[in-house]
Amino acid sequence: MLDSSTNAAAGTLVSASRRRRRARDRALHGVVPFLLILPVVAVIGVILGYPLYWLVKLSTERYGLFELIQHKGVWVGLDNYRSVLGDAVFWRTLLRTVVFTIANVALTMVLGTLIALLLVRVSSWVRLVLSSGLVLVWAMPVVVAVQVWYWMTNFQNGVVNYVLTELHIGDFFQHDWYATTFSQLSLTTMLIVWGALPFVVITLYAGLAQVPGDLIEAAEVDGARSWRIFFDITLPILKPILLILTSLSIIWDFGVFTQPYLLIGQSKITTGNYLMSIYLFEEGYFKSDFGRGAAISILMLLIVAALSVVYVRKMVRMGEASA
Amino acid sequence: MKRRSTVALSLVVVLAAALTAATSGATQRAAANNITVWLQVDAQSGWPDLVASVNKQFQSAHPGATVNVQYQNWGDHLQKFDATIAGNSVPDVIEMGNTEMTKYMAAGAFAPLDKSTFDNSANWLKGLAASGKFGGKTYGVPYYAGSRVVTYRTDLFKKAGIKKLPASTAEYVADAKKLAATSSKKGFSPVYIAGTDWYVAMGFVFDYGGGIATEVSGKWKGLLDSPKSIAGLTAYKNFFDATSKASKTTDESHPNPYDVYAQGGAASMIGQSWFTCCVGAKYKASTAQFVMPGHVKGQALPGFLGGSDLAVPASSQNKALAAEWIKDFTSTASEKTLQAKGNIPNATNLLGSSVNERAAARSWFVPTAKHWVDVENGNILRNMLAQILNGKLSVKQAAASASDNIARVLNQD
Repeated sequence: MLDSSTNAAAGTLVSASRRRRRARDRALHGVVPFLLILPVVAVIGVILGYPLYWLVKLSTERYGLFELIQHKGVWVGLDNYRSVLGDAVFWRTLLRTVVFTIANVALTMVLGTLIALLLVRVSSWVRLVLSSGLVLVWAMPVVVAVQVWYWMTNFQNGVVNYVLTELHIGDFFQHDWYATTFSQLSLTTMLIVWGALPFVVITLYAGLAQVPGDLIEAAEVDGARSWRIFFDITLPILKPILLILTSLSIIWDFGVFTQPYLLIGQSKITTGNYLMSIYLFEEGYFKSDFGRGAAISILMLLIVAALSVVYVRKMVRMGEASA
Repeated sequence: MKRRSTVALSLVVVLAAALTAATSGATQRAAANNITVWLQVDAQSGWPDLVASVNKQFQSAHPGATVNVQYQNWGDHLQKFDATIAGNSVPDVIEMGNTEMTKYMAAGAFAPLDKSTFDNSANWLKGLAASGKFGGKTYGVPYYAGSRVVTYRTDLFKKAGIKKLPASTAEYVADAKKLAATSSKKGFSPVYIAGTDWYVAMGFVFDYGGGIATEVSGKWKGLLDSPKSIAGLTAYKNFFDATSKASKTTDESHPNPYDVYAQGGAASMIGQSWFTCCVGAKYKASTAQFVMPGHVKGQALPGFLGGSDLAVPASSQNKALAAEWIKDFTSTASEKTLQAKGNIPNATNLLGSSVNERAAARSWFVPTAKHWVDVENGNILRNMLAQILNGKLSVKQAAASASDNIARVLNQD
């Protein structure tokens, strides 16, 4: 009796301490993830939150040259947003930029996939040459690349005009590649796609390595044609990578500035060929209207978020499915 | 669901990062007696020896002082200046185009200067002195002015059998036909003018009695669609078509006209008088200049009287030293050197009778409106010229739309 009672007492004691430990473990388990993520959140908060706070604040202020010199803006509420949204140039620029972005992203993704598929099939030395070429493109700084393209398409001495003329495609002597908005933006698209391909190709090539060879073999044995294999086997396996690349490309291409601004050149930039980033730069910086510029960049942020929401949702769903 | 929102949130944050990433150009913080001077590249290519000798003189007069000259481009120097204002690290001296001064003086960007301490200040060129004055105070010291003249190849003019320099635009066009035959080079221009060089084009507009904009009872009114302006623009188009093989959409620095000339691509070119600096060793001896003729025989085409002022930003740490440097750089001796390089000196008592100075006798200037600089930066005139030369719009249509745009920009508050 005594034994059993002490035993029982000891039992409750043991189980109580075990329970306490378990509870503590559980609490710790709850806290640890948050502790782990804390440094990242703190860093992001400082690096992004702080400037974002100032950007939002700036967008609600009249902040021109006078205010810049005083280092103090005047609160105007939503006036900057009202003025931007009421500007016909904004809406035309937005439409142009959306079309421009779609063209860029589509070309980048389609060409990127095709080249990645090609990389798998070619012999190893061709693959070596191709991928070193891609890495060299990647390594070239944007400003240098723009300068090279600018010279190639030069009116007077450009090699493009020379080659096209020599190939008897037509008389391209002194052909002006910057004469129309369409031509200007097409050149910009070529430059951007050319620069974006290496990253897309190399990433997709890595993804293609995950496609199991026996699966394809089995499909071939079953008599599936190559396009069927591509759409039913390769594509589903590449899907997560394609989604990430597409949404990244949308973000990059929607806000692209360096290539169009430098290639087209400041003296040819007019309201008729604005892209969103250039609109932001011209309205905000050239006119020294920083409050309005801030409002434009907040709007751009929201638009990109809206544009990529489809992809983000798909990616998130995929993440949930695999978890 | 919770997880989805966290992922979405982090993506929004990443998006924000991609978009808000901004570049900032910072100049080094000035030491006690170190001054930073922003000059335009014109000084770098045209008279670097003057800059060097003035710095030497300045440093020997102010032992221990250093001058850091940073050359800037016209295209983006104001944006860089804005960035330095925001970052409290402004240059101590800045060269400003005379069309750029008003906006900055009105905003209080510059420190007032004591006019009487500068050489020849009583005789400063009227137009330049006015561009540096605001509310009765002097903020800008005239640096130099320049008109636009014709720089030409004497050997080719001789080869073409031109004995007398053209006295009217019609004569010049007739000469251009002869000049075209003097070179077998493809794309050779008898008169090189970049298509959207509005400084030349507006000369035609003013030659026919037109204008850009005028202030009528406190409101700006565009003038480019007036019949006289349209006549001028049409004359420009005809002159360009007959004489220049330059791109119809390019500006006067892509390429530099003197580079085309130095490569043997032109028999003559219209531009700043200091273009003689860079015509290349091959043509140096056979290069001369004359005043661009207008459509009335014997009368010059009105030239844009461009010029630069030197100003001291209000938040400079070394205002006194900066003013001292400006004094040296605009001294009588310095101005004489600038004059020898083909510029117009800043004071009437220094004026000579060079081609450039004669050309300045008939000149025009941009509307003195606070927002004029926005018209320039918005490329309204360049766009109009490209449309006219390309034939995308008629002169009348292009002029009407540009005129409306200009009035809208100038009438902003």
